[in-house]
Amino acid sequence: MNTNSNTYTVIYTTIIVVIVAAVLAFVAMTLKPLQDANVKAETISQMLSAAQLVNDSDLQKMDNRAVLSKYSESVRTAFLINSKGAKVRELNTEEGSIELADNLKEQNYNIKGAGEPNLPVYVFDKAGEEIYVLPVYGAGLWGPVWGYIAFNADCSKIVGAYFDHSGETPGLGAKIKDEPSFREQFAGKSVDVTGTKLFSIVKGGAPEGATGAVDAIAGATMTCKGLDAAINTWLSAYKPFLATQMGASLSQGCGSCGENSGDCCGGGDCGGSCNGSCGGNHQCNR
Amino acid sequence: MNKDLKNTLLNPIFKGNPITVLVLGICSSLAVTVQLKGALVMALSVIVVTGLSSLVVSLIRNTIPNRVRIIVQLVVVALMVIVVDQVLKAYAYSIDKQLSVYIGLIITNCIVMGRIEAFALGNKPWPSFIDGVANGAGYGLILVIVAFFRELLGSGTLLGFQVLPDSYVPNNLVILPPMALILLGCIVWVQRAIQKDLQEK
Repeated sequence: MNTNSNTYTVIYTTIIVVIVAAVLAFVAMTLKPLQDANVKAETISQMLSAAQLVNDSDLQKMDNRAVLSKYSESVRTAFLINSKGAKVRELNTEEGSIELADNLKEQNYNIKGAGEPNLPVYVFDKAGEEIYVLPVYGAGLWGPVWGYIAFNADCSKIVGAYFDHSGETPGLGAKIKDEPSFREQFAGKSVDVTGTKLFSIVKGGAPEGATGAVDAIAGATMTCKGLDAAINTWLSAYKPFLATQMGASLSQGCGSCGENSGDCCGGGDCGGSCNGSCGGNHQCNR
Repeated sequence: MNKDLKNTLLNPIFKGNPITVLVLGICSSLAVTVQLKGALVMALSVIVVTGLSSLVVSLIRNTIPNRVRIIVQLVVVALMVIVVDQVLKAYAYSIDKQLSVYIGLIITNCIVMGRIEAFALGNKPWPSFIDGVANGAGYGLILVIVAFFRELLGSGTLLGFQVLPDSYVPNNLVILPPMALILLGCIVWVQRAIQKDLQEK
């Protein structure tokens, strides 16, 4: 047979490509459940890391099962909220059937106006204290960046954060994940729910003593800008929820407490009685 | 095992090593040798890819239309690489993340295409498979040697276990790619000192 004729070449390449495609489809479908389980365990381990429940070196040694059982034993509840901060439904936290909100990309569109967002809130138990873990998602330089930010019981302080990316430059943008010192900056900071800018990643260094800002990474301007936008977009969507947690309602004007609003509303004691007429000592009138 | 086959198997591992003698596959050998574990997985992946793609190409060698043979070879190699990548994603997720793009880049590794063009197209399946595996092993051997020294001196660990005492201060230069190139140079030096016929006049 003439293997160099045009007809032969076209038929031959077609058959080869169809066979290869079939093999690949088969392999991909067979391995999909295992791969999904890995991704799920990784997502959970990122939350555990953000909530400071497990340190990073222990986390690396844990296999999927250990991660899942650690999640089930330390999670108190997990639920979805809408843009008003009201609970939509619970997420299953049983070890065998852990349910995660893994459609962050879709929710990101919803937050930006495509629909009604269903945002996940994961509540962990750390030595009796509640830890709230909220996801963020946005565009980095080369691909998506996302992460988890953990808050204390009244959401007045960040206890930790974890960020990941799909393809930021190693050594530069990838440092949002690889550089522990970048993530560690978030611990102890707080989010300003009264302003339009909730949190800032500042190029050139955050001002000394700033509660709502951290230093950006040198050489990773676009990644940091993207992460900054992701954090602000998502935490804005969580604003009603965060405000409720902080024990102050935005509509009651606690914003008038100015930059010291934390004194007024952050404690959670004000409850619904905070009427915004903060005295000179920045204490709420009760 | 006859003498030809034995030669096919042993030659690429030392005398005709793809990295130190043919100087192929340098890029990935600098990138994935920071830790021994990553290097071992990478070596295994390359052995599987070179072995299986040589075998498959050799099986269909008489049917391949000459004008599109490179593309057909590429399709076969790409198939193997994607399968390896998928398997790693399913069974060794953390290592796959660590090796990131380099598994996918096995496609561009000259060793694979080079052996198919030079050997598998003109030989029977079994010798071709041996040749592919041997070349992958030759590549892997160098990878593991380099990674051994880089992890030992750069992190004081081997396969993640602490081997050097805490008083040893890890040398961060060893972690960086330039040191891999220097180590590779040392290996080439040692090999040419042993094997005088490789020395250029």
